[in-house]
Amino acid sequence: MDSKVALLTEFYRGLPKDRAKVETYEQGFEFLERMLAGGVTLEYGEMSHPGLLHKYKLSKIPEGRMNGLLLSHVRKESNLCLYFGDKVNSLFCFNLDNNHKTDNTEVIPEMELAVSLLREILIGLGCEPLILASGRGYHLWFRLAGEVENDQLYNVMLRSMAKTMLGLHRKGFDHQQIKVNFYPDPRSRDIVSLRLFGTDHAKNRVFSRVLTPEGLLDEEDSWKAFECHLKTKTMSVERFRAAYESIMAAF
Amino acid sequence: MKTIAIDLDDTLNDFSETLLKTPFTHDAGYGISAETFAQYLRMLRSGTADGNDLLSTEYSYFCYKIHNECYRLTTARADGVEFMQWLRANDWRIVICTHRDLRRSNECTRKWLEDNGIPFDYLFRALNKLEFCKAWGIKTLVDDHLFSLTQEGSYDIEVFHPIMAKHEDLELRRGKGFRNFEELKQWIQK
Repeated sequence: MDSKVALLTEFYRGLPKDRAKVETYEQGFEFLERMLAGGVTLEYGEMSHPGLLHKYKLSKIPEGRMNGLLLSHVRKESNLCLYFGDKVNSLFCFNLDNNHKTDNTEVIPEMELAVSLLREILIGLGCEPLILASGRGYHLWFRLAGEVENDQLYNVMLRSMAKTMLGLHRKGFDHQQIKVNFYPDPRSRDIVSLRLFGTDHAKNRVFSRVLTPEGLLDEEDSWKAFECHLKTKTMSVERFRAAYESIMAAF
Repeated sequence: MKTIAIDLDDTLNDFSETLLKTPFTHDAGYGISAETFAQYLRMLRSGTADGNDLLSTEYSYFCYKIHNECYRLTTARADGVEFMQWLRANDWRIVICTHRDLRRSNECTRKWLEDNGIPFDYLFRALNKLEFCKAWGIKTLVDDHLFSLTQEGSYDIEVFHPIMAKHEDLELRRGKGFRNFEELKQWIQK
């Protein structure tokens, strides 16, 4: 197995592999037939214009096909996005996006401050994030050694984000400039997916670089940081439960 | 294989009428007051934009909730259903092509299609349906959207549309308007 595919497989081991969203510039019925071979179902497709970027939501992906999708992902032929488990997960993630209709790939001051505040709050709880630059903001990933109920994951995310927004407000910034989504979110199931680390953003073609307190790493160092996070920052379930108790008691 | 792309809202169903006539009721799930609910409903029904330069707002969430209700409640055109079944029986590849945000409406859209006996092969969201048809080599599009009717010439795609009041002010010289799907059936057989 390709070493990058092996890393991604290990990092995202807890996410369901029978469904995925694939982002690609490939299109047409012949391509679709190839993609759906082996019993894969197309739930729906999306085409955004300009650029003709296509997104395909696939389900009933047989075992064995995921390796091929991951390989295309690391080769930057297409982007693979995965959905979260319906009830429990061993990963959780904040997705912070620039909320503007136009020019939304710019890093706005609110975003920089929000990421910094959120990181600080979560580290205070004993949860260290892997922060990845996304097209319109950042993804803050947390990897757990075991599965935790979605309600608990959501409650920690909701409360730490509320503290972050309060921090923004106190510093005179408008929290509405940022759009926040939580993964998993018990209010929605099987609706939104997240792009995995290791490829370029489909629209702005920028690699999902790792953000450290010193700044953004380049592609090679980002892969090293990703591997290091996997090996040294995976959080025990006990530590997560302690974070949960702590933040629930504070609200 | 012959392929056709067909829109859903106001083409195969009465979406606009559903939006205008359904007595939507306020509840806590909207996260807004009853007054704001009434104001937003007026705005949505009149097609007024909120003038906000933000993507995700209180109003955008309201619109999403009301639209999803409409997708569920809307009535299928009986002649449209019959037309779709005729397409299936005559080996057409059918692509449903819609503006709907399918991330959040895929499930209810599929249920509605199934409940109404509407066959299809693929479900796609495209904001520019002409561009989509061009990219996928689809030569026939059925759509009520004014953009599709006025811009078809630049895409070499034949566009058919149900005749609606909103088309009256438009000097249509390109898209073919039909009163019922039986008319359309005759045209596409030629």
